[in-house]
Amino acid sequence: MIDSFFELFSHTFVQRMFAASILASISCGIIGSLVVVKRIVFVSGGIAHATFGGIGLAYFLQYTMGWIWLEPLIGAVLFAVGTAIIMSVPLIKQRLREDSTIGVIWVVGMALGVLLINPVDRNIIQMQDPISILFGNILLVQFSDLLIMVLLVIVILIVSMFLFKDLKILTFDEEFAQISGINVGLLNLVLLVLVALTTVVLIKVVGVVLVIAMLTIPAAISGLFVQNLKHMMILAVIIGIGTSFLGSILSILFDLPTGSTIVVFMGFLFIFLLLIKPFLMSKRKNPSIL
Amino acid sequence: MKEIAIEIRNLSAGYNNTIIIENINLEINQGDFFSIIGPNGGGKSTLLKAILGLIPIHKGSIKIFNKTPQHGRKYIGYVPQYAEFDTQFPISVWDVVLMGRRNVRGMHPFYTVEDKEHAKHALEIVEMKAYANRHISELSGGQRQRVFIARALASQPKILLLDEPTASVDKDIKESIYHFLKELNKKMTIVFITHDIGVLSTFVGRISCLNRYLFMHDDDRVLSKEMLEAAYSCPVELIAHGVPHRVLDEHKHKKQKKESP
Repeated sequence: MIDSFFELFSHTFVQRMFAASILASISCGIIGSLVVVKRIVFVSGGIAHATFGGIGLAYFLQYTMGWIWLEPLIGAVLFAVGTAIIMSVPLIKQRLREDSTIGVIWVVGMALGVLLINPVDRNIIQMQDPISILFGNILLVQFSDLLIMVLLVIVILIVSMFLFKDLKILTFDEEFAQISGINVGLLNLVLLVLVALTTVVLIKVVGVVLVIAMLTIPAAISGLFVQNLKHMMILAVIIGIGTSFLGSILSILFDLPTGSTIVVFMGFLFIFLLLIKPFLMSKRKNPSIL
Repeated sequence: MKEIAIEIRNLSAGYNNTIIIENINLEINQGDFFSIIGPNGGGKSTLLKAILGLIPIHKGSIKIFNKTPQHGRKYIGYVPQYAEFDTQFPISVWDVVLMGRRNVRGMHPFYTVEDKEHAKHALEIVEMKAYANRHISELSGGQRQRVFIARALASQPKILLLDEPTASVDKDIKESIYHFLKELNKKMTIVFITHDIGVLSTFVGRISCLNRYLFMHDDDRVLSKEMLEAAYSCPVELIAHGVPHRVLDEHKHKKQKKESP
């Protein structure tokens, strides 16, 4: 058993899988924490689902225009950032109810993806199975995917570190942020673009549909135990790495779909910890009050 | 002559096309203890948001130390209603108070030693230093109010602007908050809005009543029945109690009609 466990790591696809899950966990831990505390999980869901349209567009252009260089993940970045911008346009924000905007972007993106992928001849264009785009297949991560992911994670890390102080004020008290001289409209846009980039990093791991899970669950679990935003982010990264490692190993051992295994594993862990939290905290908390 | 802290001329403001406050004229001098009272929906929050430059002005002007709200609000320490906060947010007392330094520090990614000194000092003023590492959910209503006052003080404001400082805290804490504000008033201008006239009478400085229009009352320490009735558009009981005039805050709004749009 132990031998076969270590043997797993000699495969390139397994190494890539772990590299991908570490990259995904870093971005989802940091940005996911902001998403959870600012309560924009469903804005993020809209952005995530809209990326399917971008992936479809990339395949469509590969097929019709011969643009083989246009990686699906680049299409995803374009659509993710595009929808983040659309949702930040002041006119749209003022005139429309936010959840309506989210709903429209969510489904139109998905439908567009289906329409664009439909005519693509898979004998000519090497294309990922739409099911694995939707639900993820971390075992199929390519080297080029990893490169894009590394790049995105670096951008996410630098921007969120540089703006951490302001992002904390924005997510805690938007009115105060405005009074304190923060350009609230612009910073909200930056936050949504960071969310957009994060969803793209996560697509390879859990797929378009399950992105919300990785964005939300590690941060939500972390939020159960810490009372400081920075600690919440760090713990969420660790939880993300741990659960995606264990989830992937379970999926290989039992031959299960990886994305769904990771998400279900995370979900059960969250429910379990939520239930046992009162017992864990009661022991620790009393002395600190005295 | 005293310097004018906030000067409002012929102000009309509201949201979209609805005007909520109209033709407001107001001068608040530096060092004033200034309260704006009025019924719910009378436009108190609108006036406050206009002073802070958070909503556009329809007509007239607001000057804070002779600057527009967008430029002058750096002199203001703003204390919002604490009840509006997400107590689940992972943040400590210390982090909340440090936020008050943002308008001094600007885009710089980290707070400096100087910022931390000011934050520490602000916590000392409100006597909450021992609670610096506590999570905000662990505080009582009155303590949380003090923390948000400390956040406002951290930027060393000339004016302290408070939105319903005593909303949803019990009576003893109400009194202690007003005593504390009175103490702070020795160093800075205090402006607050409230619909709670019960405690006010013992702590009055300058009072104005706002119900779409603003009624000034500059005679210290006396609240007139007419003034309150004008503001609340319903009868208000006043009784003398040894202390010059105490106002009963129990009054019903039965006769009050909906505001015309």
